[in-house]
Amino acid sequence: MTDVQTQPAISTAQPEDFFQLLKPRVMSLVVFTAATGLVVAPGSINPLVAAIAVLCIAVGAGAAGALNMALEGETDALMRRTRGRPVAAGRVKKNDAMAFGVILSLFSVMLLGMNANWLAAGLLAMTIVYYAGFYTLLLKRRTPQNIVIGGAAGAFPPVIGWAAATGQAPWQAWLLFAIIFLWTPPHSWALALYSAGDYAKAGIPMMPVAKGAKSTRLQILLYTLVFVPVAIAPAFVGLGGLIYLVVSVAGGLGFLGLALRLYRSRAGDEPDKAEAVGREAALYDVRAQAKPARDLFAFSILYLMALFSALLVEALSGLGA
Amino acid sequence: MRLTPEELRARKRRNVWIAAALVAFIVLVFGTTVLRLQQNQASERALLEAATGTTAQ
Repeated sequence: MTDVQTQPAISTAQPEDFFQLLKPRVMSLVVFTAATGLVVAPGSINPLVAAIAVLCIAVGAGAAGALNMALEGETDALMRRTRGRPVAAGRVKKNDAMAFGVILSLFSVMLLGMNANWLAAGLLAMTIVYYAGFYTLLLKRRTPQNIVIGGAAGAFPPVIGWAAATGQAPWQAWLLFAIIFLWTPPHSWALALYSAGDYAKAGIPMMPVAKGAKSTRLQILLYTLVFVPVAIAPAFVGLGGLIYLVVSVAGGLGFLGLALRLYRSRAGDEPDKAEAVGREAALYDVRAQAKPARDLFAFSILYLMALFSALLVEALSGLGA
Repeated sequence: MRLTPEELRARKRRNVWIAAALVAFIVLVFGTTVLRLQQNQASERALLEAATGTTAQ
């Protein structure tokens, strides 16, 4: 009875809470990579069509994030990194988040189809279903390879951007896909190495939980060995120019060095400080031994941004290959 | 059902944002339609020119 009386009669969720459902940080990366795919693609596109297309891709990605948070509310509540999310914290009801995600998905896909073309719209719809359905509902809790296969969802935006500009998705677009796809495992596992306790508590078989820290560090290094050459490849196939070559090689060597340092470290062998006392972790609030993992995680974001920035700058300035 | 001032404020803010989003969506659909019409007219004109070998007025 008391519970009923203390519950608000209607939702007190604020617009900001709904904005948080869209995962704005992820959305900014999606906007950036989709815009790059769109600008790098051959031919010209009306700037207004391009802007609406990028907006649709961003909203579609945000909708997938909202569906993910709606479906994962209980799990998110168990982890320090995610327990402040609107559904996990109880500020937005699960059904409201679900409805929000579904409506935005439909609107963004329809508008992209009308504005650009139905190939791009189809790819966006597939990305949403892939992330919210295939990854969140099926993969995440079943296999330590969850992030490898699920990482494809985050790799689609440049292909969608390219398709929006040209109506096609040639192999050059899929090379951009491959860069993000191969970047995802080292990036996510570096984070998982110092948050393994959280994932274990939530029952998610992330690689460090399922196979241990040592195996994860080795797999990060192996993925990096494949990822760095693929990241440099656009400079040799006519997608990137000299700026891209310099950025991708210099950054790639840095990435490889950090992955090697992480492999030789003992990162993830013990829980980090914040995890031990169960509070929010600041950027470097980890055990000294976990610092190589935090460094690689932070650098991986910087490297991906640098790669796509180089492509974007070259395409916009005409300095590209 | 009596709503608290906090609930009323939250509902009003949500409603304002929903209205703004709907208006933005309408503007985007309208803009897209206009762009599509212009593109279709331009491609029709180009086809006509190619078929007749003349420049359309």
